[in-house]
Amino acid sequence: MQRNANRTKPMKLVIERAALLKSLSHVQNVVERRNTIPILANVKLDAQGERLGLTATDMELSLAASEPARVAEPGMTTVSAHTFFDIARKLPDGSEIALEQAEGSGEVTLQAGRSVFTLPSLPGDEFPAMAFEDLDVRFRVPVEDLKRLIDKTRFAISTEETRYYLNGIYLHAAKAGATSTLRAVATDGHRLARVEVDLPEGAKDMPAVIVPRKTVAEIRKLIEGIEGEVQIAVSPSRIQFMLERAILVSRLIDGTFPDYERVIPTGNDKAAVLEAKPFADAVDRVATISTERARAVKLRFEPGRATVSAVSTEAGRAVEEIDADYAGEPLEIGFNARYILDMMAEIDGGQVRVEMANAAAPTLVRDPGDAGTAYVLMPMRV
Amino acid sequence: MRKIVHLDMDAFYAAVEARDDPALRGIPMAVAASARHGVVMTASYPARAYGVRSAMPTARALELCPRLVLVPPRHDAYRAASLAIRAVMRRFTPLVEPLSLDEAYLDVTGLGPSATGLARRLKAEIRAETGLAASAGVSFNKFLAKQASDLDKPNGLAVIRPNEALAFLAALPVERFHGVGPASARRLHAAGIARGADLQTRPEHELQALLGSAGRHLWRMAKAEDDRPVVPDRPRKSLSVETTFEDDLEGPDAVAAALPPLAADLEARIVRAGFAGNTLTLKLRYAPYRLRTRQAPLAAAPILDGARRLLARSPLEGPVRLLGLGISKSETLTIEEQLALPLG
Repeated sequence: MQRNANRTKPMKLVIERAALLKSLSHVQNVVERRNTIPILANVKLDAQGERLGLTATDMELSLAASEPARVAEPGMTTVSAHTFFDIARKLPDGSEIALEQAEGSGEVTLQAGRSVFTLPSLPGDEFPAMAFEDLDVRFRVPVEDLKRLIDKTRFAISTEETRYYLNGIYLHAAKAGATSTLRAVATDGHRLARVEVDLPEGAKDMPAVIVPRKTVAEIRKLIEGIEGEVQIAVSPSRIQFMLERAILVSRLIDGTFPDYERVIPTGNDKAAVLEAKPFADAVDRVATISTERARAVKLRFEPGRATVSAVSTEAGRAVEEIDADYAGEPLEIGFNARYILDMMAEIDGGQVRVEMANAAAPTLVRDPGDAGTAYVLMPMRV
Repeated sequence: MRKIVHLDMDAFYAAVEARDDPALRGIPMAVAASARHGVVMTASYPARAYGVRSAMPTARALELCPRLVLVPPRHDAYRAASLAIRAVMRRFTPLVEPLSLDEAYLDVTGLGPSATGLARRLKAEIRAETGLAASAGVSFNKFLAKQASDLDKPNGLAVIRPNEALAFLAALPVERFHGVGPASARRLHAAGIARGADLQTRPEHELQALLGSAGRHLWRMAKAEDDRPVVPDRPRKSLSVETTFEDDLEGPDAVAAALPPLAADLEARIVRAGFAGNTLTLKLRYAPYRLRTRQAPLAAAPILDGARRLLARSPLEGPVRLLGLGISKSETLTIEEQLALPLG
């Protein structure tokens, strides 16, 4: 601390608590609870012009945001992100927060009303900025489109470490017939979700990338309640999201996403159309009985109806019948109830179309009201 | 220091097919769902000699080896073999972490003086009970055990000892480390890092700056610091108690006299855990390390009666050093299986 102390420069500003919290609540999220490099536990404060910049990183992604502030002395420093956030959170509504660091000091003084906190600091110029590379592919995506790309796929992202290349959303430009689309795909090896939106201008030559789960979660939080567009810049190893008041830069997952189109069936000839809500509710009820972690339910399709059932050696049996528009041979097929429910939560229309080949082959699920989405479920043997 | 075994069945699907159909033995063959499109799931060793590999399109495989015999997969047979293999592994330790149907980690710390000897017996018992060959790697962490199982395939057994680990890792190309894909490899090479030795000499923060948290993981692997535990993949399926005797028990009467306290202990634990099993196991360890188990369905009668019947079922093979009693749920009850998307 002593070695660093004499290199710190002065900084002095006043910021409204509400403004600070708006950005700090997002930024501090990025900081990992455990760090081997002490400065990574800190948030960088950068007072310039009439704004306070806040930056945090976990070396995988960096989030920078800024808020209006009254800057008396421009400068920068870093303090513990979680401590700073907790203090700001506990201060009363409407507080004004004064931050000051004296030249050569290893401490930041935070004052609000009658409260005074003195926090140890590390110099701002030692904060590891994430290297920017040539992010020459840039395009703008409507916020609604970005939400759609994320919401309709993220539930299928794998958490399994061994197949790390599935730990994110595969984002790439694709062709759907004559239309060019921006497509997002996620899979955990048991289910797959694919969604597309119109290809934004300038995205035609974007590299196909795998955006890590944590980055997906952070950008999704940032665009909640926002309208308009997000600018995206992308290279083979980085992706950058630029919002009005924040920039998120992230590494991409280094790996090859599997050829997912191969597992999306095209010739499944046993199709059933079900009312979405009664189907999801029936699966949810029946799965109460399913065993342990597997949560298997069995679907039996017959002309005009479907039966959802579950059997457990310990918890008993359950069966529920629902209406179904189905004309094929009777078919029995098992699924993980969790997978059905995750998927049904993203079906916006009133109906769902289930296209099957047999009880052991990939099953295609479509939202008849949304041609841009496709879900694939692998059955369970039950 | 832990002792970890990584067990990897050799060309598993192909081996099951060759076991069940003598006509397929010793010839280039591969298991593939479809001959026209689709990919090779597993290739036999004779097929590998032609360059045929898993995940290769079948069309390409047939180009490399025109007389390649393609066999459609029989998943039920593979599952049955896999269950049998897991049952053998769980006779050695409950700490079995299956990675797939044909691969698992076992934590065998404290199970006798030689993990290598144990791995050899494990391989032999799998061979005897399933007719299938496995390769095993033995070391003190998961990453090294997995590397070791690759060293001596097929039907191999290789050990990486603590005093050899750093030298082994130093020679290992970075591409062989878990999580290093083509782009990370390029980046590492650009930074002058080609082998484990280069990773070992760089400071941790340099690798972290280069690759993020994957860099930290890599640095630890290269230093043989892999403390990931072996995590059994299933909820409690068994409960057991055992006692080791200072003086070996000689004869069935001495063994029978030692049963009541064990049975009482097991019953108390069953009540505490609220666990209901359907199979009773009697475990007998003869000097020095010969382990035998006897199993029977658990009747409504007291556990002690069941244990006595198991003991009386056949003669002892010698003085008994350790006596154990356990109950379990038999595996055949859980027949649900989530199928995997054929992503390759």
